[in-house]
Amino acid sequence: MLTKLSRRQVLAGTVAGSALALASLSPAFAQVDSIVVTSYGGIWEIAIRDLFVADYEARTGGTAEIQIGGPPQWMSQIEASIDNPPIDVLVNTIDLALVAGRTGLVEKIEPSKLTNLKNIPDRFVESVQGWGVIFDYGAAGIAYHRERVANPPSSIKAMIEGALAGEYVLSLPSISYAPTPQMLIWSLADALGGSVDNVDPAFEALKQLQEANAVIFYGGATEFLNHLESGEAELGIYWDGRTWAHYSTGAEWIGFINPDEGAVMNPVVVQKVVNSPDTAWEYINSVLAPGPQLKFAEMVQYGVTNSEVVYPDWLKERITPWEETRWPPFEEIGAAIPVWVDRWNREIGA
Amino acid sequence: MSGQNATRQTAGTVPRARAVARPWRLMGFSFMIPSLLLLVAFFIVPLVFVGEMSFREGRLPPPGGGLWQNYERLFFDSFYLGVIGETMLLSVVVTLICILVGYPVAYFMVRHAGGKLYNLIIFLLIAPLLTPIIMRTFGWQVLLARRGLVNEWLQSLDLISKPLALLNSPVAVVLGLVHVLAPFMILSIASVLAGIDRRLEESARMLGAGKGMSFLKITLPLSMDGLGTGAILVFMLANGSFVTLLLLGGGSLQTLPLLIYQQFNTTRDLPFAAAMSNALLLIAFICLFFQLRLIRRKGV
Repeated sequence: MLTKLSRRQVLAGTVAGSALALASLSPAFAQVDSIVVTSYGGIWEIAIRDLFVADYEARTGGTAEIQIGGPPQWMSQIEASIDNPPIDVLVNTIDLALVAGRTGLVEKIEPSKLTNLKNIPDRFVESVQGWGVIFDYGAAGIAYHRERVANPPSSIKAMIEGALAGEYVLSLPSISYAPTPQMLIWSLADALGGSVDNVDPAFEALKQLQEANAVIFYGGATEFLNHLESGEAELGIYWDGRTWAHYSTGAEWIGFINPDEGAVMNPVVVQKVVNSPDTAWEYINSVLAPGPQLKFAEMVQYGVTNSEVVYPDWLKERITPWEETRWPPFEEIGAAIPVWVDRWNREIGA
Repeated sequence: MSGQNATRQTAGTVPRARAVARPWRLMGFSFMIPSLLLLVAFFIVPLVFVGEMSFREGRLPPPGGGLWQNYERLFFDSFYLGVIGETMLLSVVVTLICILVGYPVAYFMVRHAGGKLYNLIIFLLIAPLLTPIIMRTFGWQVLLARRGLVNEWLQSLDLISKPLALLNSPVAVVLGLVHVLAPFMILSIASVLAGIDRRLEESARMLGAGKGMSFLKITLPLSMDGLGTGAILVFMLANGSFVTLLLLGGGSLQTLPLLIYQQFNTTRDLPFAAAMSNALLLIAFICLFFQLRLIRRKGV
């Protein structure tokens, strides 16, 4: 039997259906005791899910949903709905973590609610001005192709000189890669006699490398490995953890050096979003706990910050101790980024 | 049944038929509502939001500031004007190469390829579209690298003594984009070519036109519709392309999509990124307008 629908019925049904479909995408429909946490993709997601989320759920009986992406995207989402944020715990880079703090997207750390904070060295809280805690870090040093570079440079300065002498081609991060201001521009300036207020030495070196056809740029972390594998470059500035993670997949041709100047510290911060439930602190406690942190370090091969963590020998020789890294002036770099990016576009290229 | 009765009966059924048809006609309109809602929610509203954001203060405001500061920075700075020019030039070059490469392929497919060969060409055109664009672009990286296949072949043939810097160049970007976008051009042209009445060409030949003349006077004008559709598709997609430029360009080309990503990802200057995306949209609309006018002027 055919039922005739009036126009009004069709309209009402369509609007209601569409509204329901759209609303079901909203986190407002998430369970009350459920929180939304963030993670980068790939092995990070697996580690966050299997370690931190699992620990949080086992301890509290609550649930945590993981949102995959990157800090700029997450911060935009929070900014768009600050009263009812779609994210409760934010994983962030330190420069954006400071921006998130200044712009009121995240709360200051409350030590009384973070029992595991006592084992985290003060520097990992002070560096982010209390707008979160550093729980993990990478170090940007020199990664190279062992079979093609017999005598790898021991310092950033020697690396530049070798490339200018035609010994090898460098693969360096482009300005489209978010950590480039710290891991390349400041690092080069610092290594070549400049500073955060004078990055001329860095730009001069980059221009010389370009003129000598001794450099190519990568826009994403995987691309660096492709450059080395395909022979487009022989060495460059890259992360310790990613280098060793690639080594562990069977790419035994790759090696990593902590340069004489020190690899550049790149901390990962965990932050509690404003207007998120108090259970978010419990999740951060899981992130700072020594047990899950050790397993996290074993999986992603990056350093963690809880001082009670004892790395097994195989991992200890791969992780760059944080005391042996260079800490960029993150706040000053954050303020200088627009000028540096503009200068890079005009002098180096996109 | 007499003729009079038939007329009376017909006259009586028409209003009733209209009455029956009317709810369906309204329902026909109603069927558009989900699409309209989707368009409003995911295109119009974000567009308004981006428009509003572009008038906020950017992180590197020009001297004087003001409501239009981000647009001033974009349109009164020779560097950014150059970026806009480069974006347009890249799209034009890729579109022209796709036409030059795509038309002969489409013509061969429709006019000379038999059933099996036709199907094979269609498969070869569509198969790459099923592969993620990032994988295809990585493929080009492997081919064009210093120790890649192309350089190795050239060296083994003693044509070059040391590897050429093929990657991270405008040539690599154009190659990558043509590879990705040519199927759109070929399929657009082929579908129109297949519909051309071949008797028109035969008539021209019978009236003394040579092969070339009948192609120029008959086939080409009649296929302009497909060519125009393909050109618009390729131009628009090239205009907003980003991954290929990022992976194959290596900074050798600076286009608006790359700079938008950079402002979002590195600088977090969202107002300036919003102004750039609005400018890109406006430029795309202007180009679309002129392309459509050009095609219509050709009588399609």
